[in-house]
Amino acid sequence: MLQTLLLSLGFGLITASVLAIAAVGITLQFGVTNYLNLAYGDLLTFGVYIAFVANQRFGLNIWLGLLAAILLTSLLAWLINLLILRPFTDRGTSRVIMLVVTVGVSLILQNVLLALFGEQFQKYAVDTGTPLHLGPFLFTPLQLGILGLAVGTMLAIHFLLRSTRLGKAMRAVSDSPDLARISGINTRQIVNVVWLIVGGLAGLSGVVLALNVVTFTPTLGFGFIFVIFAAMVVGGIGSPYGAMLGALVVGIATEVSAVFLPSEYKTAIALVILILVLLLRPQGIFALRRHA
Amino acid sequence: MPPFFFYLLTLATFAVIYGVLVIGLNIHWGYTGILDFMYIAFVAVGGYVTAQLGLPPAQPAFGETYVLGFNWSFFPALLGGGLAAVLLALVAGLLSLHRLRNDYFSIVTVAISLILWTVAGNATPLVNGWDGITGVPQPLADVLNLDPNGYGLFYLGLCSVILILVYLFAQRLYSSPFGRALRSVREDEIVAQGLGKNVFTLRLRAFVIGAFIAGIGGGLLVTYVDAFNPSAWTSPETFFLWAALLLGGSANNRGAMLGALLVPVLFAEATRFLPNFYSPEFVNASRYIVVGILLILTVRFRPQGLIAERRLRIPKRKLLPLAASIASPGSVAPDRTEPNAVSSLLSLERTSSESEELHNGR
Repeated sequence: MLQTLLLSLGFGLITASVLAIAAVGITLQFGVTNYLNLAYGDLLTFGVYIAFVANQRFGLNIWLGLLAAILLTSLLAWLINLLILRPFTDRGTSRVIMLVVTVGVSLILQNVLLALFGEQFQKYAVDTGTPLHLGPFLFTPLQLGILGLAVGTMLAIHFLLRSTRLGKAMRAVSDSPDLARISGINTRQIVNVVWLIVGGLAGLSGVVLALNVVTFTPTLGFGFIFVIFAAMVVGGIGSPYGAMLGALVVGIATEVSAVFLPSEYKTAIALVILILVLLLRPQGIFALRRHA
Repeated sequence: MPPFFFYLLTLATFAVIYGVLVIGLNIHWGYTGILDFMYIAFVAVGGYVTAQLGLPPAQPAFGETYVLGFNWSFFPALLGGGLAAVLLALVAGLLSLHRLRNDYFSIVTVAISLILWTVAGNATPLVNGWDGITGVPQPLADVLNLDPNGYGLFYLGLCSVILILVYLFAQRLYSSPFGRALRSVREDEIVAQGLGKNVFTLRLRAFVIGAFIAGIGGGLLVTYVDAFNPSAWTSPETFFLWAALLLGGSANNRGAMLGALLVPVLFAEATRFLPNFYSPEFVNASRYIVVGILLILTVRFRPQGLIAERRLRIPKRKLLPLAASIASPGSVAPDRTEPNAVSSLLSLERTSSESEELHNGR
């Protein structure tokens, strides 16, 4: 029993890594644009299939596929904002209607992928390597790679937010777009750059998610978006550091739940966490100071 | 009769049933402004319960398991389906309707819908899991003893009668003082609250009423298609209904019915004739792509929908004395105003371009 618990704790760490990258991305976007984006999960799926094409159709190494996924998803997110979302936000569309618009984007993205790739399960050609014992845990080199990518991404985001002009401007826009604008920050440009970063993070997290769950279909991201929301909400909406902690909580909770419940309910556990936190503690479990 | 007739009959029946469903959603979103993304779950619960109440007890020997199986006749079963949806709406609404901002509420509703979907699929004893329920009893089939076409016509008639009843009820609701209060909540919760409306109770009541209609529509749908499993009520189905309502016209029941005819029936059926050249999922996927594009274009270029909500312009000479009567509570309001209209009126003053009707033209 203890053995299975420890093992699932290890899986939880990996799931948390995937989740942390994704949750930081959506938190940055929500902080700056101030509307929830249901199409985010499908951006992840888009990245998944970019890497799939690179890996399986062109025979490239999965890490090259990952790079392609990051770049192209980044571009796609930027384009979606430019062509679809910005015309709405420029007119001052309410965030409720923006949510409906992102539902439309989600339907389009998900079904374009479905039309192109079909609903059969796909997988990458990748060598997971022989599992290694690290203390009580058992990790494949691939899983360690995912863990390393997540830690690297978190450090990069931390550096970006704390030590660069861009990151400071992002935090300023997130706090108050109006104040940022009169302080001379080009908010429109910041929003554009944020979409590039968000797309990149979506592509990255999508591919590592697919590596982690091994097989995937075009609905992968839409199923995962609510787990991402759960991580974001647990950490306190709009707080990137909270999102990292939230990812840890939700990632471990979902994997450990699989010890006690059929694994089909993993996502449902995340959904229950999402609902409970929104109802009981909407500021997030950690409730970091908003103006960090 | 030719097969083409049967095809048209099928389309007409779907259009009528979807009409019922979209009117229910209209009460949530169009009337009250509740961002309900779990609507399909109400439809599913209504469908499952209607079917199960009508079916004989499950026979696990034939690989079918479900919990109810009471052999009820159709109308009590349909009512049971509606009431089951009401129960779900009460639970969901009491939990979350008063605590959350509208966009977070919508996330909670999708989450509830997905949890129910997961449970329905995996907890096989409840509703026979992923295989779903089949052989739903057809109302009065044994009494009427008609051929398939004749029975199809009969069922279309039955659904039409229910659609008309639902439509009349929804129209009545719209123009009632309660309906006006709902619209004041939709326009501006804080103003409605400031004028003494209990926003939470109003929203909860609207949520429950819409869910009842969804449950009834679900019962009709499942009885018609005769088989129902979780793949028939995935989240995108909710957005199908949303697209229908937004395209047809929010807060207008004729618009809702038009949307029900256009989106799930005409557009969805039109894609059926696309060449299936790329992958087996191409047709089905293109259907949702069309719905997504429609959703975005509607919100962008015609947010009021094809048939806009009928809002009466109030002439200034009537507005001014009214505003004065609100400002000084002692004075007598013009006799044609009703207390409930005040809340709608105040909210309309904030957005002067959008007038709210004061008097219904009943």
